[in-house]
Amino acid sequence: MKSLRFCLLACAPVALIATAPAGPIQLTSSVMVEKIAMVNGHEQTVLKAPKPVFPGDHLLFQTDYKNTGATAADHFVVTNPVPASVAYAGESTAGAEMSVDGGKNYGQLSALRVKTPDGQSRPARPEDVTNLRWTLATIAPGTSGSLKYRGMVK
Amino acid sequence: MAVIVVSPAYARGVRAGSIVANTATATYDVGTTTTTINSNTVSLRVDEVLDVTVASRDANDAGVAADAKNQVRTFTVTNAGNGPEAFNLSALSVNGNAFNPAVTLVAIDTNGDGIYEAGTDLVVANGNAAPVLEPDASYTVLVLSDIPATAADASRGEVRLSALAVTGSGDPGTVFAGKGLNGGDAVVGATRANADAKGGFIVAKATVVLTKSATVVDPFGGTRGLPGAAITYHLVAAVSGSVSVGGVHIGDTIPDGTTYQSGSLTLDGTALTDAADGDAGAASSSGIAVGLGTQAPGTSRTVTFTVKIN
Repeated sequence: MKSLRFCLLACAPVALIATAPAGPIQLTSSVMVEKIAMVNGHEQTVLKAPKPVFPGDHLLFQTDYKNTGATAADHFVVTNPVPASVAYAGESTAGAEMSVDGGKNYGQLSALRVKTPDGQSRPARPEDVTNLRWTLATIAPGTSGSLKYRGMVK
Repeated sequence: MAVIVVSPAYARGVRAGSIVANTATATYDVGTTTTTINSNTVSLRVDEVLDVTVASRDANDAGVAADAKNQVRTFTVTNAGNGPEAFNLSALSVNGNAFNPAVTLVAIDTNGDGIYEAGTDLVVANGNAAPVLEPDASYTVLVLSDIPATAADASRGEVRLSALAVTGSGDPGTVFAGKGLNGGDAVVGATRANADAKGGFIVAKATVVLTKSATVVDPFGGTRGLPGAAITYHLVAAVSGSVSVGGVHIGDTIPDGTTYQSGSLTLDGTALTDAADGDAGAASSSGIAVGLGTQAPGTSRTVTFTVKIN
C-alpha cells in the first residue's frame, strides 16, 4: 500500500473530474493510471491521467467525498463497482467490504466463495470482486476523505 | 528530470475500443432522511496492443528427397493483441544449415488440412500482408519450398516464417499515435509485434548397390569354364543411406548356353524352392527372382543360384 499512501499525500486528482449535483455531500470519482517510471535513474511509480489505457495498465480508482453542509451525514455508505474490463488487484482503502455477486452480498474477501461451472464453489480471488463498499458511521460538516482501490485493465 | 515510462504489455486483454466506465454511489442519512447520490462517471477507452505469436505446427523435421519440389512446413500465426490486426508474412530460408530450401509459396491454409491446394488456399505474396485477424484468432500458414538437388543425405535445412503487425512493431511500449482501432493509439506489446518460428527439412536418401560375382567348379575339380562346369552366381544387394527402401527385388536371367540347376536358389544361405510359392524366391529355366520387400539402411542380402555350362 506504499503507493496508495504516497498518492494520498502527493496527488490530487487532476483529470476526469466532474462533481455531482450540489448537496450536503459531494462525491467525486477519478481514475489514475500507475506507471513504473525511471526518475533520475530510480524506479518510481508515477500517476498519469489515463487516456487511453491498455490491457495490463494498473489503475487507481478514487472516490472523494466531502460534507459541505452544516449537519453531519450518518451511516455513509459508498459503493464503487469494479468495471467488467478491470480486475480488482486486491488493494483498497482500509475498511472495504467486497462483493463477488454484483453487490448482492458483501463481506471480507477471505469469507466469500465463487460458484464454479461444476456446481461447486471455490474461495473468491481478488479478480472475482465486482463491487467494493465502505461504511462510515458519520461525516462531520466540513470533513472530507478518499476511498481508493487498485485494479488492472484485463 | 528524465522520465522513461515503461509500459506494461499483456496480450489478449480487453478488446481495443472498450470503454471502462466507473461511477461511485453513496447513501447517507441526515436526520431521518436517507439520500442517495452518484458521483461523476469516469470513462476510459482501452486502446490497441499489438502482439503476435508464430509457432511451428510440425513436431519433427520433414523427411524429403533431394530435388523435391514444394515441400510443406506449417505454422500457426496468432493475433495476441486486443484489436483486429493484419500481419505481414515473410518466409525465408535459414542460413547456417547444410542446405537452403528455396521458398516457393506462402499461403493461408483455409481448410486447415495442412496441404496446399491451389484455388482453395489463399496465397499471400511473400512479405506482404495476410488478411486481418481478430484478437485471439489464428490461421495456419503453409510455406512451400524446393529442396536443392545437391542436398546430401541426412543433411538439414530450415525455413523461417516471420509475422509483423502491419500497424507497426518494435520495442515493447512503442506507441503509434492514432494508428490503433477507431483512431485510438496502438502500442507494441511484449512480443514486439514481430514473431517468427522455424520449420526443418532433413534429406532422406537410400542407395541400393547390387554386386554380382561368380565361382566356377569344372568337372575336373578346377575352376575352368568347361562344358559341364557349374557356375554359382552371387548377387549381393547392399542398402545404405538414412532411410529404408521399399520393394527391393533381385532378378537375373539364366545365361545362354547354360542350364539352371534345380533347387540351387538360396537367400542368405537358406534354400528357396523354385516354385513361385510362399517363400521369397522363384526360379525357372529362364531366370530367377527374389522379392525382399522393405530393407533397412545397412542391410545386405545375398542371393545365389547355380547353372551348368551346356
